[in-house]
Amino acid sequence: MAVAVAVEPPLAPPVDDDQALIAAALAGRSEAFGELVRRYERAVYNLAVRTLRDRTEAEDATQEAFFKAYRALGSFRPGAKFSTWIFTICYRGCCDRLAKRKRLSGDELPDRADPSAGPAVLAERSDEAQRLRAAIDALPDKYRAVITLYHLQGKQYEEIATVLNLPLGTVKTHLFRAKEQLRKVLTA
Amino acid sequence: MNYHDDDALDRALAALPLEEPPARLHDRIMAATVLRPAPLASGWEVWLVGTLVAVAAWCCWLLVSSPSIVTRVAAALSDALENAGLTSEYTLLWLAVGVSAAWWVSQLTVPASRKIRVR
Repeated sequence: MAVAVAVEPPLAPPVDDDQALIAAALAGRSEAFGELVRRYERAVYNLAVRTLRDRTEAEDATQEAFFKAYRALGSFRPGAKFSTWIFTICYRGCCDRLAKRKRLSGDELPDRADPSAGPAVLAERSDEAQRLRAAIDALPDKYRAVITLYHLQGKQYEEIATVLNLPLGTVKTHLFRAKEQLRKVLTA
Repeated sequence: MNYHDDDALDRALAALPLEEPPARLHDRIMAATVLRPAPLASGWEVWLVGTLVAVAAWCCWLLVSSPSIVTRVAAALSDALENAGLTSEYTLLWLAVGVSAAWWVSQLTVPASRKIRVR
């Protein structure tokens, strides 16, 4: 006896990869760009926070990065990684902000002083994550950027090199030195 | 935590949670991008309309300030046409012939050369 089985029509496959989301956003689907923002806003914000060491400015830099990406979405190279692209936009924006900050405050103050970065404060902190973040914040600009991207992207050295516009060897050297400095600070 | 070796530091970095962005950030980004209302006119359109309005205002002011300007402008235009020879029937005829010839040539389709070898 034949049994009639109600088969539901297949649903439209969820758009899960970035390329498809970009194509959908370019076709005018605003929710696709919203999904891209949802995926990367946290990472981009963290990159901006670690680079700028100022949460309010990092918020502005994140918004600016997504705004620039949205405007230039049509020029996004198919096959490229959206994460690398958005990190590059964000990092360049942060560098511009840091350069502006240096011009305004003088060369002897390269970064905004972060009270959380001192070793005395570090010693008082019980939370390991906070301790590690503070140690990263205490690193010089170039090492901080490399270690932040290493944290965000993992061992994708080529991607880090692309974002920072540095040779691969320099990225590896910076990373080695950054880790060395981190270890020194954390074991002190 | 012991950070003496490289692996321990790597593990600590991998386990480091990302900071949560402020709750309003997503809405701010969306408002600045996809939810941003489209501008009524693009930059060049605004400039064009502004220039046209300025020229129109200037013409109005000229007319109001000296009412005889229309006759003077008309006279200057007719003088210019006469000086350029555009009032003569022969000039206009030859101009018309030239323009039609140019148009006719532009409409011709030239067949492809037979000398091109097919490989």
